Amino acid sequence: MQENQWLIKQLEQLESDSRDYKQKALLQATIALLEEQEKRRGQLQGELDGTLWSPGNWNI
Amino acid sequence: MKTLIIVSHPTVEESGSQQFLIQSLPDDGEITLHVLEQTYPEGEIDLEKEQALLREHDRILFQFPFYWYSSPPLLKKWQDDVLTDHFAFGYRGTKLHGKEFGLVLIIGLPEKEYQTGGEEGFSISELTKPYQAMAKKTGMTYLKPLTIFQFPYLTEPEKKALLIAYQQYISLPQPISLKRKEDWVLDQLAKTSKETLPTEGAAFVLEAAAEAIEDNRMELDELRLHIDNYDV
Repeated sequence: MQENQWLIKQLEQLESDSRDYKQKALLQATIALLEEQEKRRGQLQGELDGTLWSPGNWNI
Repeated sequence: MKTLIIVSHPTVEESGSQQFLIQSLPDDGEITLHVLEQTYPEGEIDLEKEQALLREHDRILFQFPFYWYSSPPLLKKWQDDVLTDHFAFGYRGTKLHGKEFGLVLIIGLPEKEYQTGGEEGFSISELTKPYQAMAKKTGMTYLKPLTIFQFPYLTEPEKKALLIAYQQYISLPQPISLKRKEDWVLDQLAKTSKETLPTEGAAFVLEAAAEAIEDNRMELDELRLHIDNYDV
């Protein structure tokens, strides 16, 4: 997720440059959202891997 | 959805937390801010006007500092005066049925004290029972409260997170899921002013962020689909 990291850096820059407090808050929330999505992706990926690797699911 | 925010505070102009919340209100959306002490400095509540306000809105919020496990006195008087028989309860008292009700509480002590063994000894869920009972009796759905502990000690990032949580509490359909937060952020990013963003290429970054949120959502849905459809 290097792409996300590049984007988060850009958003942090926008947040620090913004002249509007509500906008700063929105940019911070956008970063938090991208990070949360990334976390969920890792969790779901783990769940899928666990399901695929469970011998109970091999049907043999 | 129309939201009515009923604020009660003896000196709302001097309250840092109340002013912060009032300044945080979204610029768009159907929101009515109603400060009881400003509307009724003499304490005489206009019953007709208040009941009309309630009818017009879908989500009703009480916003106040949590004084002695309850509200400032004018909000209690408001409850006594406005939530009358045949309007809010009793025979044909169904005017609030189906609406949502929520609390925005400003609390002086830290969250950890509101539990068994903590300094306060009781949870916020226990201490707010009378409001839960009010919602139940009047046929409203009780929402999880928005609790703000020790506002003066919040850091800047925490304050900004509170601003967003407050805006979402006011306007988002409940329950507030990640998917709903995504849609909300996408909507806000599309609307945010470029004039307050001096950074070169700001519009490009905002677009890239919106695209990334959408792409991530597709990936999350796809993963969920694989998990749910995995043939066991």
